[in-house]
Amino acid sequence: MSSISGLVAVLLTVLQWAGRGLPSPVRPICDPRVLDRFIMEARDTENALRGCKAGCGVTGTFVVPLTNVDFVVLETKDTEEQALEVQSGLFLFGQALGAVRESVSRAAVKSLIDNNKSNIHSLGQVLRSLHIKDLSLSPAPAVGDSATRKVSSLSELLRVHTNFLRGKVRLLLTNAPACQQNST
Amino acid sequence: MTNNNLNKLLAFCVLFCTQKTSIVHGAQALETKVSLLLHAEPENPKCFAEGMSDLTCFWEEDEERAGSADQYSFIYTYQNENSSECSVTALPAAGGKRLYFCRLSQTQLFVPLDIRVFRDDLLIHNRSLFIEVVFLLDPPANLTLTSTGTQGQLKASWLPPSLKYMGDSMMYEVSYAMAGSHIGKVEEVQASSELILRGLQSGTKYKVRIRVKLDGISYSGYWSAWTDPVLMETMPGDLDPLIVSLSLIISLVLTLLSLLVLMSHRRFLLKKIWPIIPTPESKFQVLFFVSLEYETRYEEWLGHSTGGLWLRPTYFYSEEFPAPLEVLSEVSLGPVLPSSALPPKASEALGEEEDEDKKLKRVDPALMEGWRETPQEHWPMDQLRAIHRHPAPWTQSSLLESHDAYVTLNAQNHSVEEPLDDILEETLPLQVLFASGRTSSESRSDLSSNVQQSSGSGRLSSQSSFEYPNHTWPSKGPGYTYMAVADSGVSMDYSPMSSNKIDDIGKGVIYTNEYKNEIPAHRRPIGSPIHFAF
Repeated sequence: MSSISGLVAVLLTVLQWAGRGLPSPVRPICDPRVLDRFIMEARDTENALRGCKAGCGVTGTFVVPLTNVDFVVLETKDTEEQALEVQSGLFLFGQALGAVRESVSRAAVKSLIDNNKSNIHSLGQVLRSLHIKDLSLSPAPAVGDSATRKVSSLSELLRVHTNFLRGKVRLLLTNAPACQQNST
Repeated sequence: MTNNNLNKLLAFCVLFCTQKTSIVHGAQALETKVSLLLHAEPENPKCFAEGMSDLTCFWEEDEERAGSADQYSFIYTYQNENSSECSVTALPAAGGKRLYFCRLSQTQLFVPLDIRVFRDDLLIHNRSLFIEVVFLLDPPANLTLTSTGTQGQLKASWLPPSLKYMGDSMMYEVSYAMAGSHIGKVEEVQASSELILRGLQSGTKYKVRIRVKLDGISYSGYWSAWTDPVLMETMPGDLDPLIVSLSLIISLVLTLLSLLVLMSHRRFLLKKIWPIIPTPESKFQVLFFVSLEYETRYEEWLGHSTGGLWLRPTYFYSEEFPAPLEVLSEVSLGPVLPSSALPPKASEALGEEEDEDKKLKRVDPALMEGWRETPQEHWPMDQLRAIHRHPAPWTQSSLLESHDAYVTLNAQNHSVEEPLDDILEETLPLQVLFASGRTSSESRSDLSSNVQQSSGSGRLSSQSSFEYPNHTWPSKGPGYTYMAVADSGVSMDYSPMSSNKIDDIGKGVIYTNEYKNEIPAHRRPIGSPIHFAF
């Protein structure tokens, strides 16, 4: 009787240790409402800071990705190419919003900028759940300059950010193979 | 060869017709969208996207200022790209205006698009837009209404526009109203292709239509045109259990109240429904007491018989319609009737009665002799034999008025004048005299049939009424007594009680003698229906 209880205790210990060590599979996040919330918060930030005087004190230029989506061309791209564009774009936006936060002095503006940076970080986790490598923390963009452009104002930066989320990011999440498997 | 040509021609015709249909349909759809945007979009040019890769822009010009299509230039430029030009086409419009169109077949979304329109190098319109926010879709197709199996509900289902990547961004507006009514409700649903309409009236026809629009998060645009309305009737409603229970309770309460009212007024209602029919006992105390006494004694007298023949005493008490008397009795010959001749007055009275139409039938005294000798228990059959051996003549006797029946016992010796064939068995020894109303032939036939029926049973019984207006009773011996009985009940309309009868009786002498039943004569009231003649 004591030997059996000891054996059960050993088995439970082993299983618990194995559960800690092995990474648990991330369940794909395919709910479009997650990205929709990020898009709406980016839109709200754009609308709130559109009338900011003197650009809310933000100066300088920022490199941002292109946001245009041609469905005909999109059909020719595979998921990895799309994911590369999305990942590099999110990286560029992260960099730009970080620089903007250092430039502004108003707490309200800082709060909105911080929220958008947090959403970009969350999007990286969403892409990871779809088995898409998160390149937002990479030091360099994976795409060339032809896929980027420069903006010189906070409002332009926020508008491009919103369009990028609405277009390319959303299309990637909608067409992610992991989400297609779940829906079928 | 000829068949191939025909097949080709047929295929061409089908294709042409199909395309013509689609062209016509497309033209109608374009006209609808143009009219929508003319009201919904204030800017010019008015642009809308129908799919993922197209853009249609148009503007309106008055006929006066309108030029040809080649006078116009439509220049569009995507952000960070070079400008491009779109060819312009012109179409006539209502109200003396012209429409100019430009359609792009490949577009870029999520990027600003600058549009400039020139007429003869003169900039007339300038607009910057995002194509993903100017979608104007076709209405949903195949709108279908079905029943959910639940009262007050309908299920609307439809096919969403076939746009890739945008299925979860579509929102629908469902409008439903009762058929014939302009007041309806609207419900919105997102990213779905069906909707259950609730709160509908049972057994009512509803008109439903739907339109679509992108939800505005990633894509946006204008509400599409409404679909053609679809009609369907909801399920008929069942009785609401609450209503049924309330109805039952109310009906029960009303029933109880009505019963209470009826019970409280039952005496009044009984008087109205069953009024008390006055009886003449109070007015004719003596008569009815005497009649009762007579009936009692008469029943005692009849009680000596062996049964089978009886005399209904309803003559006095019945309220029914006067009915023919059904009698015949088996009078016992045990007790010998006192023989006494009728007093002269009685004879005269009898004779007078004979002269009138009142007949008394007499039995042959020979028969009476035979009867007298026969034991009581064999009396009926023996009497019959005696009758056949010695048929007693019938003499005319006067009859009473209608519905009167007489049972007479005649003690006189009279010769038989008529053959005994006319005498029926059941009439002996008591012979019933009946009033007119039925012919003798009828009565004879009835009686004969009855006799035939009853002769085999050994009993003398008769259910028929018989009348012998023309028959005379054979004379009988002193053992027979004629007793007149009226069967008209309490209507008081029997001859002995009528004034005529009273007069007739008054003319003659109603002679009552004592007989074995000991009915005292003094107890017989005036106008009594009983006549005793000896």
